[in-house]
Amino acid sequence: MKGILLAAICCLFNEAVMAEPSSLVAWTPDTLNRLKKGNAEHGKELSGTCAGCHNETNANPQLDGQLPTYIYKQLVDYKNGNRKDPTTAMNGLASTLSDQDMTDVSAWYGQQAPIQGKGGGNDTTGIVFKGDGKRMEPSCSSCHGYSGQGEKVDTPRLAGQKADYLEKTLLAYKSGVRGNDIYSRMRLIASKLSDQEIKQLADYYSKLD
Amino acid sequence: MNPSSWISKIRSCLNLFEQDIEIENLEKKWLYVATIMVGFFVIVMGIGALVLNVNPPSHWETIDSASLHLSSEFAEDKLGVQPMALPDGTIQVQLVAARYGFYPREIVVPADQKIQFRMATLDVLHGAHIPMTNMSTMIVPGHVSEVTTVFPKPGEYPLLCNEYCGMGHDHMWSKVTVLSQDEWAALKTGGKQP
Ligand code: HEC
Ligand code: HEC
Ligand SMILES: [Cu+2]
Repeated sequence: MKGILLAAICCLFNEAVMAEPSSLVAWTPDTLNRLKKGNAEHGKELSGTCAGCHNETNANPQLDGQLPTYIYKQLVDYKNGNRKDPTTAMNGLASTLSDQDMTDVSAWYGQQAPIQGKGGGNDTTGIVFKGDGKRMEPSCSSCHGYSGQGEKVDTPRLAGQKADYLEKTLLAYKSGVRGNDIYSRMRLIASKLSDQEIKQLADYYSKLD
Repeated sequence: MNPSSWISKIRSCLNLFEQDIEIENLEKKWLYVATIMVGFFVIVMGIGALVLNVNPPSHWETIDSASLHLSSEFAEDKLGVQPMALPDGTIQVQLVAARYGFYPREIVVPADQKIQFRMATLDVLHGAHIPMTNMSTMIVPGHVSEVTTVFPKPGEYPLLCNEYCGMGHDHMWSKVTVLSQDEWAALKTGGKQP
């Protein structure tokens, strides 16, 4: 009897200490189908609120031409608190959006012409295409695509993104401040990069067109 | 190619067999040797499978790959070598294969002790193979792969993906460190004698 009680307490405890998953988004066929049917017209209306912060002039990430799946996942993660915006703006905003709103605004941004860098990018780290076997570091291009265009399902486009943002978010992965990547895939990669390499990689991707 | 020309092709092939082809005596002998060898190995395999029950790992258990990280067994903080051994002393290791790596990327296990790997994929078909050992299996989306093995020799091994899974397939490997029983015991007790 005592044993059973102990086991039960252990179980409870076990459940309680189980850490939060990094993201509650799962790419089930259901979710993917819903995203395909996003209403871009409604998304366009919603994007009016976003444009004040997401544009060419300030330091915030650009969204034009980003993968809708990626945008959707980030919005859900902000809403659930899995990704924390240091300015808290995104967390507040996302919590006012319904699931349909997030789907629609993702569809709208996904349809826009992708942002373009000014060209002349040069990978001085050698990690973009070759990776680094010694550090168990896969090449960035194997996931983010040959020209940084992103890959389904949720690997974002990096090409043409603002260098300052790329650097900031890579540093956030490295320190663990950003931890909404499922199974720590980006955290493990960023944690093995030096700050200098992060700067170089951010510069390289920002210049891609 | 139209059907009638196929038929004539097949006919001419059959004709070839009907002709009496000269076969050298030595060639004939080797044909016999090869046929006997094939027959022998088929019989050995048959006995192995039917009498000795030696079969490839076949474990039929399903799981939703898309929401693997939300499952209780493959939750992010539940991966790797499990702190509690199974009742028979087998050590259980939960691994997730995802483009492009096995998570956790590094594991430490003891030699001379049964290790049960339970693996699932987050995305596409992957393979799991540790060279120089008999640990090798496919990890099929929607299924849990279970393999039990014993590593006789301590050392560092790569855990490789051997099913082409995309651009980064070449980079898809993780590290398995096999410790001797003494080192393992020392690790468990923080270096103190148990
Ligand atoms: C008050 C300013 C502000 C507004 C309004 C705003 N955002 Fe943001 N957004 C930010 C900031 C700042 C970040 C970067 C935060 C971080 O580093 O985590 C961000 C990040 C994002 C990201 C993550 C981008 C990436 O590449 O990972 C997405 C997606 C996003 N916002 C979508 C939206 C949408 C959709 C709207 C409109 C419905 C919107 N935002 C409105 C400030 C804003
Ligand atoms: C194993 C596949 C994989 C590899 C290799 C990889 N990434 Fe990523 N990366 C991802 C995924 C998946 C995400 C999105 C994670 C999330 O949901 O937050 C991501 C996100 C990012 C982001 C955030 C983009 C944004 O808009 O916020 C940056 C920057 C980034 N990766 C840079 C890199 C660089 C640089 C490399 C090479 C050193 C690299 N990645 C290698 C899979 C990968
Ligand atoms: Cu693989």
